[in-house]
Amino acid sequence: MMNILPIVSLSWKNIWRNKTRSLVVIIAVILGTGAGVFMSAFMYGMSMQFVKSELQNFTSHIQIHTKEYKDEVLPSKFIPNAHQLVNELSSLPFVEEITARTVISGLASTSSSSFGVTINGINIESENTVTELHTHIIEGDFLESKRANSIVVGNKLAQRLSLDIRSKVVINFQDVEGNLTAAAFRVTGVFKSPNSGFDETNVFVKQTHLNALLNADEISHEIAFLVNDFKMADAYRNSLNLDSGLVAESWGDIAPSLRYMDSMVGTMLYIVMAIILIALTFGIINTMLMAVLERQQELGMLMAVGVNKMKTFSMILIETFMLAIVGAPIGMLTAWLGIQILSDTGINVSAWGQGFEAYGIGTIIYPELQPEYYVNVGLLIFITTLIAALYPSYKALKLNPVEAIRKI
Amino acid sequence: MAVIHVRDITKIYNKDKVPVHALNGIDLEIQKGEFSAIVGPSGSGKTTLLNIIGGLDEPSSGKVFIEGTDMFALKERKLIDFRLHHIGFVFQAYNLIPVLTALENVSFILQMQGLPTKECRKRGTELLHQVGLEDKIHKRPSELSGGQQQRVAVARALASKPTFVLADEPTANLDSKSATDLLNLMLKLNETEQTTFIFSTHDQRVVERAKRVLTLVDGVIDSDEQK
Repeated sequence: MMNILPIVSLSWKNIWRNKTRSLVVIIAVILGTGAGVFMSAFMYGMSMQFVKSELQNFTSHIQIHTKEYKDEVLPSKFIPNAHQLVNELSSLPFVEEITARTVISGLASTSSSSFGVTINGINIESENTVTELHTHIIEGDFLESKRANSIVVGNKLAQRLSLDIRSKVVINFQDVEGNLTAAAFRVTGVFKSPNSGFDETNVFVKQTHLNALLNADEISHEIAFLVNDFKMADAYRNSLNLDSGLVAESWGDIAPSLRYMDSMVGTMLYIVMAIILIALTFGIINTMLMAVLERQQELGMLMAVGVNKMKTFSMILIETFMLAIVGAPIGMLTAWLGIQILSDTGINVSAWGQGFEAYGIGTIIYPELQPEYYVNVGLLIFITTLIAALYPSYKALKLNPVEAIRKI
Repeated sequence: MAVIHVRDITKIYNKDKVPVHALNGIDLEIQKGEFSAIVGPSGSGKTTLLNIIGGLDEPSSGKVFIEGTDMFALKERKLIDFRLHHIGFVFQAYNLIPVLTALENVSFILQMQGLPTKECRKRGTELLHQVGLEDKIHKRPSELSGGQQQRVAVARALASKPTFVLADEPTANLDSKSATDLLNLMLKLNETEQTTFIFSTHDQRVVERAKRVLTLVDGVIDSDEQK
């Protein structure tokens, strides 16, 4: 077996031969790794905030509809025995919160204008556990008044139809038998969610009142629920044992763009890190190449006195690894500490991030990172350092001892 | 008994372009315990011959036997290992490792041979005593004079108890006193330890103290004088 300890010891001493140069490389590795990991945490945190915002405000984690309803949104396509199904689903271990909605299409009209809307009949108690729309109320309340014909509208729709609190709005829609009907509602709340398109096309009314207007009793078109881990939604969806007429969709099925974004950000993080590491690699190659060229005579002497090529190659390889291994963990640790602190307090980007709100991100970003990312970045650093080490090591290997000894 | 047997060695550089005949049929035997100097004008082939005897450079033709082993019949890895165990080198520019102390420079060769660290340090300390540097064992090369550095180099060359030591112009970078001290040291080692030394040199002081002087001219042995 190769006696590597003296080589390791010599390598360690060699990297401190030119302290300034080695420190510059080590600091570059610390900054590069730290900044890369922190930036990844910022990007991941931002995307997670967007995904979570979308799920908490609109999509939920899993939704159930009838297949017919998915084909054509009609009041008559409601879920049979929805309440019983809600009770069954509630007992599943992974279901955290659940609600059932009556969701139909209609035309909202005021004296000034009309606009097509989705009318969401909700049970306020269960709805507030599944979505966070009640936190986006900017005027009035979220169906808390006792008035049966209360309606909550988005601010965009309010602007379009010139609606204020206590304004009257008439909505035309079909009942479950297909008859056209109309009902007057009184605006009791205005919300402004992170999605302005949603705000323009959705209104919320009390489910009991809407069902009465539909000439139906206790019907629901949509069951939405949250699970204990939204990343497991697909697996949980597959585990559901539903009637053949029903279809369950995970948030990724309902909003494929969110699923794409989730996987895209995961890939982006590694691309960003890889770019930073490639830049660092060239810095390391440059340093080690200089180290080899400066020490040609010494390397020649080592080869002459009997240090074999494998040991010479290993020595340069180990020196390169040491430069990275000293810097990378410090960089990762610094980034981790920063992430831990800022994941609680958040980073206020309001000064330049006004547009973020339109995407449902908010102006305070909470950086976060999956633990496996640190492991993978460590692996990435190992691979790039190995690549960086190969050329200088090869240069050392190709030295001719006779010529190298005579170099000044 | 001959420890080195050089048989009809030739060395031609630039074979494909403008051939330079550095050595032309050298036959040579070096006995155990010899203190030999190879002298000659620049370009006569001294260093080439030394490099070939040391296994650092391959001859164009001919063979070199070290204690009966045909050195250039060995595969590269074996040859490097052979050098580690059988040949000591002293270079003109000392070529110590600057980040290691005197003791570490000497011990390093023994560690490469796989000896336990404790034993390496013990032998290294003994050798540095032998070369008169007992009070400098923890000094780095930059803290030593040229003569002291060359003594460390001699101790390093002797560390593996080699069959012979090759010294290429060992006194060239030294002042007169350091050169004389170094020569005295090597002569003492030669006489007390029966260490075989072969020098290539221009230095008249080395020539005067050598027990055998081989004069190379144009790649052939012009004279072989035993004293």
